[in-house]
Amino acid sequence: MASDNFLQQYEKSEVRTAWIFIAPLLLVVGIFVLVPVLGTFYTSLFLDVSYLPEQFVGLRNYTDLLSSPDFWQALRFTLAYTVAAVTLEAFFGVMFALLLNEVFPGRGLLRVVILIPWAIPTIVSARTWQLIYEYTYGIMNYLVVNSGLVSERINWLGTEFGAFSALVLADVWKTTPFVVLILLAGLQAIPEDIYQQAKVDGAGLFRRFYKITLPMLMPVLVISLIFRTIDSLRMFDLVYVLTGGGPGGSTRTLSYLGFEAFANDNFGMGSTVSVVTFVVAFAITLVYLKAGKFSEQLK
Amino acid sequence: MTREEIIRSCLIFATGLFLLAFTLGPFIWMIWISLADRADFLVTGQVEYSLSNYRQVLTAHSLHFLDYLSNSLWISTITAIIVTLFSSMAAYAVSRMRFPGRSVVPLLILAMSMFPQISIVGYLFEMFSKAGLINSHMALILPYIAWTIPIALWINMSYFTQIPLDLDKAALVDGASRMKVLYKIIFPLALPGIFSSALLVFIACFNEFLFAIMLTIDYTAQTLPVGIALFQGLHGEIPWGNLMAASAIASVPLVILTLIFQRYIVAGLMGGAVKG
Repeated sequence: MASDNFLQQYEKSEVRTAWIFIAPLLLVVGIFVLVPVLGTFYTSLFLDVSYLPEQFVGLRNYTDLLSSPDFWQALRFTLAYTVAAVTLEAFFGVMFALLLNEVFPGRGLLRVVILIPWAIPTIVSARTWQLIYEYTYGIMNYLVVNSGLVSERINWLGTEFGAFSALVLADVWKTTPFVVLILLAGLQAIPEDIYQQAKVDGAGLFRRFYKITLPMLMPVLVISLIFRTIDSLRMFDLVYVLTGGGPGGSTRTLSYLGFEAFANDNFGMGSTVSVVTFVVAFAITLVYLKAGKFSEQLK
Repeated sequence: MTREEIIRSCLIFATGLFLLAFTLGPFIWMIWISLADRADFLVTGQVEYSLSNYRQVLTAHSLHFLDYLSNSLWISTITAIIVTLFSSMAAYAVSRMRFPGRSVVPLLILAMSMFPQISIVGYLFEMFSKAGLINSHMALILPYIAWTIPIALWINMSYFTQIPLDLDKAALVDGASRMKVLYKIIFPLALPGIFSSALLVFIACFNEFLFAIMLTIDYTAQTLPVGIALFQGLHGEIPWGNLMAASAIASVPLVILTLIFQRYIVAGLMGGAVKG
């Protein structure tokens, strides 16, 4: 009994060393993530505009924000943008992952090429897309007009629908590789003999995809989509470069709305937007996780 | 060939072609414009190719391109080194030592990474203003460490747990300290994992934009993404040739790094993604 107790206990010196090893990490994250997050929440309760003395206003920033049309517009845009981008990324992700999982000459090259968009800094790719979408001499209008798809040039960044599609496409280009990588690993984990058996049983190419590949890929697909959703909900860089939130404020994301408030020295409202952004992202993540658990129980 | 094999070959060919065009298209366009003397040649039909855009970007002091580049390289490198040090120490403790709270720490750190950058950056600005750090390298290095360390911790943990515990025990019995075990035994064995986490941290810092634009003011601390986002011509019109040359110089090192160390990056992304 005595020796059992002894084994259950932690060695004091080991515990101390462990905490010394973890201390730098906790310190850095504590000071530069936890403190700012709490500080942001605290600031959101104040009227904090550069040229006035700080003044406690309780939840007034929140009621102001929730009654402003700009906020609802930004929330709508952020959600619509996320749904459109993540859906397309899932579609192209599955398509490219299936391709790169097949055996064919040139596969090695394609597996390398797919990483290029991921490696290019978002701001750099945003600037490139800005030039691609240029109204008069951008290649996008050159292609759509000369191929006969449309008769007149499209004002990609100056109209609401154009700007929305432009942002979604640039995002899909940049982030699909990430989805492909995760799905490819998922595909490689599916045992080959299932396919052999299905072939013997006479299941065709498409039937094998719907009955075997897709269901077995689902868990990995959900993981990658959670990551992409969380990321899209906080999107900022692309909007900053491509549209600056325009035209007419129609492409402001929640993060961009917060940034605008900070840039205008309105730290109280900026903090309020930031807190709400976090709450929205957190709520959607919870829904995802709940849905994931629910589907697991169904099995 | 059976009918199914024909369908399969056609699908592979079509999708492969589409993948090539889709991923390379914008990249090729960037390089193309960077070599051209004018960006509107699709309309005017006149164009000459040269390296003069690259020469201008690299030599014109008023563009400060080399300042942005060196800021980015310094900030990303120092962050990657410190994150590697701190995260491997913490990963060692969490994966190989017995102490109360060892299962809570990684989850807590993961939870911290859930906060969007926007909900941190406003207060960071106020903190750094008071501390006089705005527009310094430190103003980016410190938050970058905190921002990237969760993923590094999780990647390193997944590699450390694969190493047999007996190795530590043997070394400890021989009188080695925990620190020595970490650097003499674990570090070399988990090098691929440590390398991929360091690489991902470097790339993340090199690409980061929101912190960089909020916490810096001019070329003494601004990084490449900020420089490229704010890049203005001298005469109002955007100088696309210069801008695309700058973009190409900014992305080519990353593209080469990614192509060479592809395996490590994929391993790192997978480790982080599956664990997260």
